[in-house]
Amino acid sequence: MIEIRNLHKSFGSLEVLKGVNLSLEKGKVLVIIGPSGSGKTTLLRCMNLLEMPNAGSLKLGDSNLSFDGGRKPGKKDVLKLRQNTGMVFQSYNLFPHKTAIENVMEAQVVVQKRSKEEARSRSAELLAKVGLSGKEDAYPHELSGGQQQRVGIARALATNPEVMLFDEPTSALDPELVGEVLKVMKQLAAEGMTMVVVTHEMKFAAEAADTVVLMGDGVILEQGPPAQVLNRPSDGRAAEFLNLLTEKER
Amino acid sequence: MDDRKIQILIDSLWPMIKAGLQFTIPLTLIAFALGLVLAIVVALVRLWKIPVLSQIAGIYVWIIRGTPLLVQLFIIFYGLPTIGIKFDPFMAAIIGFTLNMGAYNSEIVRAAIQSISKGQWEAAYSLGMTRGEALRRIVLPQATRVSVPPLSNSFISLVKDTSLAYTITVVEMFQVSKQVSAVTYEPLLIYCEVAVLYLVLCTVLNALQNVMEKRLARFSTR
Repeated sequence: MIEIRNLHKSFGSLEVLKGVNLSLEKGKVLVIIGPSGSGKTTLLRCMNLLEMPNAGSLKLGDSNLSFDGGRKPGKKDVLKLRQNTGMVFQSYNLFPHKTAIENVMEAQVVVQKRSKEEARSRSAELLAKVGLSGKEDAYPHELSGGQQQRVGIARALATNPEVMLFDEPTSALDPELVGEVLKVMKQLAAEGMTMVVVTHEMKFAAEAADTVVLMGDGVILEQGPPAQVLNRPSDGRAAEFLNLLTEKER
Repeated sequence: MDDRKIQILIDSLWPMIKAGLQFTIPLTLIAFALGLVLAIVVALVRLWKIPVLSQIAGIYVWIIRGTPLLVQLFIIFYGLPTIGIKFDPFMAAIIGFTLNMGAYNSEIVRAAIQSISKGQWEAAYSLGMTRGEALRRIVLPQATRVSVPPLSNSFISLVKDTSLAYTITVVEMFQVSKQVSAVTYEPLLIYCEVAVLYLVLCTVLNALQNVMEKRLARFSTR
């Protein structure tokens, strides 16, 4: 489903991704962890081209894009890739001038040209799926952080993407609200959604991931099943980062 | 106040209101609407740094903001005919005020669009929207809310600035009051009367602004 080869990304003179290789099969969950500044969010944002890589290649679903030699995909290819991915943001980024259901309807109506009735009924189903029946007409500021993020998940699902991208979806939440969002994500994973998740939730990584990738300084330090990466890291820097995390949890 | 003065006030009221309805209000509405469209185009061209157009837009805003409105009106109405470009007075006023509104309001629109967080654009893009769709559906509706107070301000300024159109022979409200004052020799009375008319007009607009702000406040922008 996803195949990334030798991906590079720089911001000015700062090289954030230094040649990343990654692959993910359909229906699997990939969790990316690592210290801040390690490039994990940039890697995720390269997968729907919110950041344009400087070199390397990206295959995702039917999209097959190469960035070598300063090449950039055309507008159509960019839109196609983005329609095939759904993204959930750390700060939700819901549209504040639209109600919960309108947030979920928006891309169906504007991008997929579905009728409003069709979009509305599908959106109501999606809101029910994330446990927000009855909140259809609430504006984002009337919802808790956890509820907003669940609307964000429903919105990203609305266009039937093949891959869901989560950028630290629970980092902005109060601790007591983290569970409700993780529950929805686990449910999605159980239904066979292909997911890439950048997170600091080690418990989620251990329970829901098929593969865990540990990034550091723009490269992948460790990659493998959660038990292996989280418990027996072979790389020194990886072990150090994991120690820091477990100390914090104590 | 004697009966003669009261009679003058009453007699001059309708001609002034008529001039307001015929020229002041249409001039304000048309110039503001066209100016707003121009302002949005100029703001986007500059925000998106579209080559050549963005430089032209920058020079346009620089010239209009750096020269007096009165001089601009004179160049359009009295100056351009000498090189064969002629407009009737009302048309010249529309052009002058539109250009003026376009320049000032483009800065308001630009600031309003920039005040919308990058995350809103990214959320729209992540759903597969084009830049135009993201602008129209997501960013402009939110920017509108931010820009209502400053745009109302410039609208109300425009109402009063249209009185300058009398200098290029448009028979708007102030021009009529000048004529009445010349005939009746009651400048204090007549100019106060026209001032009250402007005040009433602006008060109504102020009330409309409040209604709009309340309607747009249904959502909050975090």
